[in-house]
Amino acid sequence: MIIETGIPALDDHLHGGVPQGKSLVYYAYPGVECNVFGMQTVHRAISEGGRGIYVTSSTDPRMIRDLFKEFGWDAAEYGDRFVIVDGFSGLVGADSPEQYVVSNPDDAGSLTQAIKQVMEDAREPSVIVFESLSTIMDLCGESATLDAIEEWNRYAMLYDHVVVYNFTAWPYSEDTLAHVKGDIFNSVVSIGGITEKVIFGQYFGVRKIDWDEVTKKCILFKVLKPGGVRVYLPKILVTGPFDAGKSTFVHALSTRAVSVDRLGTTVALDHGHVDHRGFAADIFGTPGQERFDPIVKLLSGEAMGIFLILDSTNTADFVRAKHMLEITESMGLPVVIVANKQDLEGALTPEEIRRGLDMAHDAPVMPVVATSREGVFEAFDVLVDRVMEAGSI
Amino acid sequence: MTYNLGISRIDELVGDIKGGTNIMMIGPPMCGKDDITNIIAYNGLINKNAAVIVSTREPGKNVLDWFESRDLSIPPEHIGIVDCVTRTLGFGAPDTENIKMASSPVDLTGIGVKISQFFERFWMEMQVKETRLCINSLSTILMYSNLQTVFRFLHVFTGRIKAANALGVYVIEDGMHDEKTIVTLKQLFDGMIEIREGDDGYQIRAIGLSPKPTPWFDYEIDGVNIVLRG
Ligand SMILES: Nc1nc2c(ncn2[C@@H]2O[C@H](COP(=O)(O)OP(=O)(O)O)[C@@H](O)[C@H]2O)c(=O)[nH]1
Ligand SMILES: [Mg+2]
Repeated sequence: MIIETGIPALDDHLHGGVPQGKSLVYYAYPGVECNVFGMQTVHRAISEGGRGIYVTSSTDPRMIRDLFKEFGWDAAEYGDRFVIVDGFSGLVGADSPEQYVVSNPDDAGSLTQAIKQVMEDAREPSVIVFESLSTIMDLCGESATLDAIEEWNRYAMLYDHVVVYNFTAWPYSEDTLAHVKGDIFNSVVSIGGITEKVIFGQYFGVRKIDWDEVTKKCILFKVLKPGGVRVYLPKILVTGPFDAGKSTFVHALSTRAVSVDRLGTTVALDHGHVDHRGFAADIFGTPGQERFDPIVKLLSGEAMGIFLILDSTNTADFVRAKHMLEITESMGLPVVIVANKQDLEGALTPEEIRRGLDMAHDAPVMPVVATSREGVFEAFDVLVDRVMEAGSI
Repeated sequence: MTYNLGISRIDELVGDIKGGTNIMMIGPPMCGKDDITNIIAYNGLINKNAAVIVSTREPGKNVLDWFESRDLSIPPEHIGIVDCVTRTLGFGAPDTENIKMASSPVDLTGIGVKISQFFERFWMEMQVKETRLCINSLSTILMYSNLQTVFRFLHVFTGRIKAANALGVYVIEDGMHDEKTIVTLKQLFDGMIEIREGDDGYQIRAIGLSPKPTPWFDYEIDGVNIVLRG
């Protein structure tokens, strides 16, 4: 059995997820959101009918269910399939409402006792998530914690549990960090920040797995509330001739969108946010008229992928479409052709359009009716696949 | 990029403080460190800076009230508060525009994330490049985490202040920590604001921010002003 992390692109790179009995550490650069990864993983396990154990170290256990709720995950509904090990109350001298309590959170032995107990009591293979391994390391010391981790991981293997740790990579000793990144876990997922003066983007990537091959790749993400971790595509362009349906398409895909129109046609931008199957994207519609081609070029600059929207009944526009395709393809970006207005009499089929545009036989041309949203998310999926393959993120 | 504290005579003596400076503020209990910290932040806000305040003793709401009750003309969207208190009281309050919740003073990961999120918003979305970070106080954080842990945390964040050309102010309760703690932490800072009890109330001075320490000044807090005497 394999346990999914609940983060789609990550599960792909883990070759399905984490096999039973194995461990995974989310190894995070300080300042980058990390705990949500572990929460999303335990939530996934439980919502798939499994059991989840959450070891809290820096949060009052009374708050844990609220934290899950902020992401739209209702932990109250999990019932006894969700268990909290309270490694916090002991620290502040508070009474614990939980069944599993770590009496001395600054003693690794005390933690081990509680963790072994909960692992034994679990009646089936479960997912155990440590809210903050770095807090444990801060409290118990680096070497005592490293030793304890090995013991917890061994125990997990014995009972076929999956253990997941959130870890913030504060400047611990190089030796400690080398162990955490290197040998004590079966898998390591790095969570990093894109920094220049400040952190302005976040990414994750698999650094190590010992059950399959690693494809090294950084994937941008965003954290949505509700929603959790989403693979993030900061800029997807929607281009095409005038009246092809660009604005309609942007609105059809988006959870939120704004259009700035003048004189009835787009001279400024359509802008929308998409949240679909674990992917979040910001999409921008471009003006269609020729005189705006320089703007299209400019906008393509940092784009990750492009939709080229066509009115499938309007062959007169294909020359223009072909030209726009050339502008954008010269940027080397993944493109999906949207054969829009398929509901209209005389609409050409995707195959006919592909031939009309003289495109390669595997170029993606997707049939769409933007007004009724038919085919829009299929087109999105195809573009996302292309973007992910292209490795441009 | 330069900063002023908003403490008149001391500002004159110290001159412009250059971006990337980290300052420790140390003083006895009850000497008005909360007000002084907020006033330093306030002085940035009226000059169109942004301010991030990590609050470990007061719920974030109280800190926001402090600013709102004193001056409605400061841009409220420039205020970011990291609240380390509310959730430890068992209240599940969600983040707001101005207040982001950390789980507790032990939750250094969360505190770090929230500080970084405010910095990102001010820099990237609002294009405000002058930001002040006030941590009030390190003493609370030191109650829950050991010196080495706090040192690691500060090592990272004083570095980020430097990288961002921001101004960092870190408050410490005098008399609560042993000498070793103070000496260790001092290494991370470029200068100090010191407060002591004088014959006639409290006194303040800056040290390490100019070639010579400033003289000690008697002071009184009057609204958003620190009035110096002597
Ligand atoms: N029948 C049909 N009409 C569509 C479709 N998509 C867009 N339209 C219409 O085509 C016109 C132009 O659409 P718009 O999105 O403004 O095009 P833009 O100039 O490319 O932004 C509008 O009247 C839309 O209602 C579609 O799939 N089917
Ligand atoms: Mg339009």
